[in-house]
Amino acid sequence: MNPREPAEVDVVIVGAGAAGSVHAAVLAAAGRSVVVLEGGPPRKLGDLYSSQLWARRLKWTAPAAQNGGADPAGISFNGGHGFGGAAIHHYAVWPRFHAADFHMASDHGRGLDWPIDYDTLRPYYDRIQTEVGVSGDAREEKWRPPGAPYPLPPLPAFEQGETIARGFAARGLTTAPLPSAILTAEYHGRPACLMDGWCDAGCPIGALANPLVTYIPRSLKSGAQFRPGAHVTRVLMDAAGQRAIGVEYVGADGALHVQRARVVIVAAFAIETPRILLNSAVPKHPNGLGNASGLLGAYLMTHPSIIVFGMFDHDMQNYLGPTGGQLLNQDHFGKTATPGALGSRQWMIAQALKPNDLLGIAMSRPDIVGKALDPFMRKAARGLGNMVALCEPLPDAANRVMLAAERDAHGLPLARVTHAFGPDGKALIAAAAIEGAAIMKAAGATETWRSPIAGQHLMGGCVMGSDPAHSVTDPLGRLHGVPNLIVAGPSLFPTASAVNPTFTVHALALRSSEAIARDWSQFA
Amino acid sequence: MTAPAPDRRTLIKTGTLLIACVVGGAVVHLSPEDAHAASATPRVLTPAQADTLAHLGETLVPGASAHGIVEFIDSQLATDPAESLLIARYFGVVPPFRDFYTAGLAALDAAAHAAHGQSFAALAPAPALTLAAALLAGPPPGWTGPPAPLFYLSVRSDAVDVVYGTPQGFEALGVPYMEHILPPRRW
Repeated sequence: MNPREPAEVDVVIVGAGAAGSVHAAVLAAAGRSVVVLEGGPPRKLGDLYSSQLWARRLKWTAPAAQNGGADPAGISFNGGHGFGGAAIHHYAVWPRFHAADFHMASDHGRGLDWPIDYDTLRPYYDRIQTEVGVSGDAREEKWRPPGAPYPLPPLPAFEQGETIARGFAARGLTTAPLPSAILTAEYHGRPACLMDGWCDAGCPIGALANPLVTYIPRSLKSGAQFRPGAHVTRVLMDAAGQRAIGVEYVGADGALHVQRARVVIVAAFAIETPRILLNSAVPKHPNGLGNASGLLGAYLMTHPSIIVFGMFDHDMQNYLGPTGGQLLNQDHFGKTATPGALGSRQWMIAQALKPNDLLGIAMSRPDIVGKALDPFMRKAARGLGNMVALCEPLPDAANRVMLAAERDAHGLPLARVTHAFGPDGKALIAAAAIEGAAIMKAAGATETWRSPIAGQHLMGGCVMGSDPAHSVTDPLGRLHGVPNLIVAGPSLFPTASAVNPTFTVHALALRSSEAIARDWSQFA
Repeated sequence: MTAPAPDRRTLIKTGTLLIACVVGGAVVHLSPEDAHAASATPRVLTPAQADTLAHLGETLVPGASAHGIVEFIDSQLATDPAESLLIARYFGVVPPFRDFYTAGLAALDAAAHAAHGQSFAALAPAPALTLAAALLAGPPPGWTGPPAPLFYLSVRSDAVDVVYGTPQGFEALGVPYMEHILPPRRW
């Protein structure tokens, strides 16, 4: 046997992040032979150092992309690199999509419809939250769509959360504990969170549900094999161009390898997944696999967001709690709740702060330098409060991932990414900025300000749908025209809602992987 | 000869972050402050670039020079970009990051010569602050480096990292560090 072309396996999965690890766990447990190819390094909990500097290793370096457009997407900060993918450094804010998120085009004539509805996904949300351990208060979260109660009590609110919550109340708005995949009590052998705000650096105690403590261990226990340093360059097709037969990758040894498989799952996140599929063109699919619609790579989305800051005169305990926040508000989640804009928005309230880094105290006022900086830092180290407005981006086919003429070190064309925020997203942000300043003032802030608009999360690029003419995959993530090639991850989202995507990524992956395991002959 | 690195127990006990530096021709592991005090030789930057960077960092964030901004950045420029701890990677700077820093420093020096007839490193604190702070709003006339606001934000953040982003920096601000695992010996 050629060592560079090991035996065919049942399933090869590209990417060891949230979606890939769920697929690996389910399919390996079903008795399938599974190989997971991950371009980054193998990570373990002991690698997750408490430091905002060292946290940067966990993000995608992005030498493989040219990032452009009027509002370039944050493809490095939002991406992952190594075992766990982006989920290893995600903040575990896990609200569900709402029912209305699934039929936006039908309701409003804009955006896209999902090919499934909330009721289809609901049981998978319920099961994932039980498997992983999600904290929250379903009754307090009055906006929450129907579902099982959270298996764990809610996150605590510290002084920062309580102070800002008073501002919401004074403005007639509601807050509830933030639904979070962070343990508030010991659960399935994992310890409770210590509330020390190091989520962005990765949680080495396993209180935060990153794949290193959830689905990767389950995958390994069932016999799945993970190969780090494996850069997949393309999906290989049979001579007729009808079925995938495996993938080609550059291994950790620098040599070109082939891994044959009966089913190929591409779960390489929102930039790499379309990049690989675009680079896999064959005569039957001259513009890339699954691209008969011309929409492969299209509808890339990132949530327009801002941080609203308030300076307070008392100790806000702003160094305590999760990085993602303590409280939630979705009072303006209705698609038409914000005048002049179509789309949802939510507040995530009272993020734990560190002095440095992109979301740190110093960056909240990048204009302060010289002798004025240290007094600001000392005051803000205890007195700064903050909250994040997350708004919905409407899907726009012009925001997309393409292939560049230039190639990376492995010979793969670079991704060329173009993105701009639309007018609705900007209008939602404008409304949130006004509302946020008023809330901070009502909470007692002596001064308020806001960050520039930035993009959070990456979604779309391989949107699912029922009509092959207007989508890339079917409702299970199976590529139109290639029945044994499945896409997993946020690439599948036709719309982005105004909630963090990782819970939905898990739910979709569970639904898809169980369908593959159950109806194997229809896929393989 | 490579000096032995302190063991992990010592590092955790002291909460010290060390970097690899060349001192007297040997690679040693020093804290950024000690590296600065020992006048460690930059491995990537030229002495002139190091002087410009030190003055820029100190101008933006007082204390950055003594806390080792040159040693921090220089060590990261000698590192595989995938393992780099520089915030430039968040800003979409395409590796190698060396090109970004050296082009920015050269442009800053040219701007200093154009405005004041001398290098940036030679500027007094007041004109240095005026010139550096203005980068956030946009490039000075004739700027030929990377986008000036991006360069400003990167170096300011680097300086904040070394002054405030360490256990010692947290302590100076009076906030608890609360580490699970302290980083190992290198930045």
